[in-house]
Amino acid sequence: MASSQHVLLSPAELAYLHASLSLTPPIRPDGRSPTQFRPLVAETGILPGTNGSARICFADGTEAIVGVKAEVERTAQRPGEETVFLEEGGAGGDGDDEEEEAGQGLDKRKGDASWVEMTVEIPGLRDDDSGTAFLAAMLSEALLADGEFAKRLWINRRFHWKLYLDIILISPPLSYPLPLLSLTTHLALLSTRLPRLKSEGDEDPFFDDDWAAAPYLFPRTTSSSSTPSSTTTKSPTPAATRPPITLLVMAVGNNIIFDPSKEELAVADVALAVSVTGLSPSHETETGGGTAGEKQTGRNLRLLSIRTIDPPSRLTAPGVANAANTAYGASNGTSNGTQKMAEAEAVEGVWRPPRGGAKRMVLGALVQKVLERGGVVDEVLDALEGADSG
Amino acid sequence: MPRDAEPSLNEKQFVITALQENLRLDGRELDQYRPLELSFGDQYGAADVQLGKTRVLAKATAEVTVPYTDRPLDGIFTIATELSPMASPAFEVHRPTETEVLLSRLLEKTVRRSGALDTESLCLVAGQKCWSVRVDVHVLSHDGNLIDASCLAVVAALRHFRKPDTSMDAGVLSVYTPAEREPVPLSWLHSPFCVTWSFFGEEGEIAVLDATWLEEQVRVGSCTVSLNKHGEICQIAKLGGTPVDAVSLLQCTSVALTKVKEFSGLLDRKLAEDLKRRDKGGFMSELRAENDR
Amino acid sequence: MPLDTSTYNLALLRVDGRRWNELRRVHAQIRTQAAADGSSYLEMGHTKVMCVVTGPSEPGPRRGTGGGGAGGAGAGGAAEVVVSIVIAGFSSVDRKRHGRGDKRTLELQSTVANALAASLHIHLFPHSQVNISLHVLSQDGSLLAALINAAALACVDAGIPMTDYVAACTAGSTSTYAANDEGADPLLDLNHQEEQELPGLTVATLGESDRVVVLVCESRVQVSRLEGMLAVGVDGCKQVREILDRVVREKGRRMVQEGTVEKGIGLNEMDVD
Repeated sequence: MASSQHVLLSPAELAYLHASLSLTPPIRPDGRSPTQFRPLVAETGILPGTNGSARICFADGTEAIVGVKAEVERTAQRPGEETVFLEEGGAGGDGDDEEEEAGQGLDKRKGDASWVEMTVEIPGLRDDDSGTAFLAAMLSEALLADGEFAKRLWINRRFHWKLYLDIILISPPLSYPLPLLSLTTHLALLSTRLPRLKSEGDEDPFFDDDWAAAPYLFPRTTSSSSTPSSTTTKSPTPAATRPPITLLVMAVGNNIIFDPSKEELAVADVALAVSVTGLSPSHETETGGGTAGEKQTGRNLRLLSIRTIDPPSRLTAPGVANAANTAYGASNGTSNGTQKMAEAEAVEGVWRPPRGGAKRMVLGALVQKVLERGGVVDEVLDALEGADSG
Repeated sequence: MPRDAEPSLNEKQFVITALQENLRLDGRELDQYRPLELSFGDQYGAADVQLGKTRVLAKATAEVTVPYTDRPLDGIFTIATELSPMASPAFEVHRPTETEVLLSRLLEKTVRRSGALDTESLCLVAGQKCWSVRVDVHVLSHDGNLIDASCLAVVAALRHFRKPDTSMDAGVLSVYTPAEREPVPLSWLHSPFCVTWSFFGEEGEIAVLDATWLEEQVRVGSCTVSLNKHGEICQIAKLGGTPVDAVSLLQCTSVALTKVKEFSGLLDRKLAEDLKRRDKGGFMSELRAENDR
Repeated sequence: MPLDTSTYNLALLRVDGRRWNELRRVHAQIRTQAAADGSSYLEMGHTKVMCVVTGPSEPGPRRGTGGGGAGGAGAGGAAEVVVSIVIAGFSSVDRKRHGRGDKRTLELQSTVANALAASLHIHLFPHSQVNISLHVLSQDGSLLAALINAAALACVDAGIPMTDYVAACTAGSTSTYAANDEGADPLLDLNHQEEQELPGLTVATLGESDRVVVLVCESRVQVSRLEGMLAVGVDGCKQVREILDRVVREKGRRMVQEGTVEKGIGLNEMDVD
């Protein structure tokens, strides 16, 4: 997919940008380190009329608002499924399940992708525009990929929550809006609360009117983000997963650059949208897998999806080297010949749009860098969690 | 997107200067309508309105359908407008222009939302069967003031319309053909009409009724007032344009009321004439043995 | 659910405790977003609207049904005002999907565009476009009024020359169209519940004058009651204009204090202290 924005940079500017980003360490136009994110302003709970909401404002002025609304819906009984209602939920009730869904509680729950409906509104684009549809698909794909999320919406065997996620980009789409929308959605989901269930078993659900008692959709770990290692024992809410985030990562040469700006994206060799979810620290001992032996701080990250983004650099016009430029007294070959020459060999300081696919090594390195423990993703998740509780 | 040829600067200036001297190109007074002709078709529910060169045809139809689940006790009533390229080259098929959207919204607000048609009377079996009444508005020729002409056509068509008679017997619904039982008129509550003022001049101080297309292209603003003859406002729409003094808007409304009463009288008269034309003296006269010889 | 209006006659207080001539809390901010040429955020009670203005700029590719356009780029060489309104699905109590092709939204777009085109000096920018994009985050009545006010503020922020503020508010009447005619009091600034049950209209006026830019009435009401409602509405618009003006001046004063802009000659009149 194309990231549609046109970048008005000359071949010379592109070449300069590309060269400075290929240095080790790369020099970014705004002086950030390769893994540094741009500052952002975030707030949650801005709309009292929703179950959860968030607003994020990036430093470049792009701004998004996400609102989450939930409605109770009757679960469609599929043929072949057992339709006998057994009273097996137990005395605990499903409302408490939210908090103690540790082992078997979760197994009984079923989820369905149709329980989540996501819409994306980009100003200036029609809602059936391919770009908008693609963004919505990428965001919901990340959310629903592991099937864990939809399970949270289970009320009992006859009813479930239908969750509507409305994602609105307020500003004109200056840079590729995927990371912004994803981060805002993440925050909104963190702040989402559903009314506490008072009914038991499979009866028609009724809920506690007291909004203050409403549990969070993603139960909060008590200040675990600041001291990750110490909470493993006492944390009452072993939350399985957190909402996913999708980050944009790009590579220029062998340099991996996080959170590229619009200009940087214009010279990218490879750009990836990587969706990851963080397992909260308390969980890491169980699911540590290969890295269980090592004592590391930070989250266990789980990779949900990877999408390549067609960087706009492919559409830029190539520069013409002095040697091939007839205006500089180059051998006055046919125009066909100069064209070929300009495309054939890379001349230092002359812009050439990237050709062909990405190198496997680079792709691997990109993903590895994202999934690094205690790395960039951790920082972002911590920051977002801080924004939510603060 | 095709658009109409605009009047030239001279033409515009001419119209405006004339209006400032209380003159209109066709010699009308500022608050005078063009000759209005209203005729009904042979079928029930077809009304043809001619206002000068503007001509609008409205046709009402009814069928039995399932009511909306959120309104099980109401029938369905829709007004469909389509501006075809036949009326003006600026209109395209399947591509609603702003004119069309505003026209359909105005008709919707004037006739449907004001409760002119009692939709509850269209319900046959609660939640299962109801009448769906639909009015199609076809603009045959566009020479300004589409709104007033369309509204009159819609109201006339609906008041002229007769839907087949029905009966409920032991849970069985029967719909009768016109031969079996005389069709029945819709349950009509009040007749709203639109009156559109066009404003001219720097401050919008010149208010003109029933503007032609040329005048509409030159005007700086417009205000459509919908009223019924009982003096109830159904809708007012002054959607932007040059600001107009509040007091003169109030005056416009009261003049509009007199116009609406005229429309109402005209429609009543025409409906009575049409009824007389159709009614050959009833069942008894058909059985008469005498003839005109 | 019919609104219980009987209590009004007892204490002359409305469902939310206001008197007949009281506005709800109006809170507004301008320059809320760095990327846009002009932006604003406006709350009228629980109706919350965000507005972003870009332009005047080169007109983009023409879109099919587009937003409500006014001014006409071709006509008389003035800029075109294009408005697009996004009503968020979560803005009302029950979540409802509002498509872009919704006729009501198209009508709102066209109304806001035409209302602003009347006060902006768009003839100074031939062959260009002013893009106003409005986002409705929460709805509680008086939506059109809030949209117009937010758009006017954002246009001020964008620095598009205009004759005066276009300020809007709603007015209503305490009884339905049929019942007790004489006893009906006009009401200012209807909330959603009142809007559903009572006749009401939206008025927008230009600046401090009595000249009406927008007058929209969508409910049945006796013609005799129009005058009272209109008078209250126009008066409310003046109050709203004062509020908008205060917001702009306050922001200007702060920007001078922070040194974002230099204190120029024009700003002297803003009594910076």
